[in-house]
Amino acid sequence: MADKTKIGTEFPPYTFEVEKGKIAEFAMAISQKESKDQVKPIYWDSAAAKAAGYGDIVPPPTFQTCFALWGGGGLMPILQALGINLGRLLHGEEEYEYLTPIHPGDIMKGQSKVVNMYDKEKKDKPGKFMEFTVLETEIKNQRGELVIRARTTLVER
Amino acid sequence: MTTVITYNSINVGDAMPIFTSDPVTRTHMVRYAGASGDFNPLHHDDTFVKIFGMPRVISHGMLIMGITGRAVTEWIDDKYIRKFGVRFAGMTEPVDLHDFENTKQRATITVTGKVVEKFEEAGEKRIRCEIQAADGLGAVKITGTFVAALP
Repeated sequence: MADKTKIGTEFPPYTFEVEKGKIAEFAMAISQKESKDQVKPIYWDSAAAKAAGYGDIVPPPTFQTCFALWGGGGLMPILQALGINLGRLLHGEEEYEYLTPIHPGDIMKGQSKVVNMYDKEKKDKPGKFMEFTVLETEIKNQRGELVIRARTTLVER
Repeated sequence: MTTVITYNSINVGDAMPIFTSDPVTRTHMVRYAGASGDFNPLHHDDTFVKIFGMPRVISHGMLIMGITGRAVTEWIDDKYIRKFGVRFAGMTEPVDLHDFENTKQRATITVTGKVVEKFEEAGEKRIRCEIQAADGLGAVKITGTFVAALP
């Protein structure tokens, strides 16, 4: 059963500097391309981004996944603190709310906390439960503006 | 380039253009591992997944979400996206290059979606769309929604 005493647990904040090359690399990865000129110019060309109405180069909508993975300890310390078994872990849901644009040079500060834990009985195995943990992450920039609010649902099957 | 879609020109029930990915290869997954920093061996090491009795590595769910996000932003410019959320419904196995024709369908992601709501929020004219990503065999990988503020 989910250890509901862990609701409210806050994890150490992490910092990630947004670099132009990382945005281009990420855009190429999600676009299945081998060269940056095969992806949208707003992801790597400052002048093109400005001409398209952006303040500067911007990242694709799932870029923030690398803030914790490259900027912090990643998921493992969180799993250990929550006692989640990696072998039973599934990524259930991922949700983002975009509040402020991200540009190269921005310093992202993220912090995650456990906002909910619950169990659901397995339909095919009565008496056995799937355990759900919901993490909420707030990411702010160097000006203290809230940039992204993210919710991640982890499932132990 | 994407064409500018306006709030007044779009209606509930309108479909987003169907997007089809390239068949996901192990090389795509390695590139995504490096870009994202997610080096869980589940996504690149065949000897690791054998411990769990799995026949082959599986894609990062977040790569499939990334591909889904690309489908969305090929249609509506990135700057208009306000919310994007998905539920992961199934795992994706990469194409086997030595057996390409027989395995490409399971690794090819098709993203579809439609407008389900038009509303005003935070002083903006917004649409909510339901989206789905499925492979070439019809197995659903992702269901989700996004919200965009339109001019």
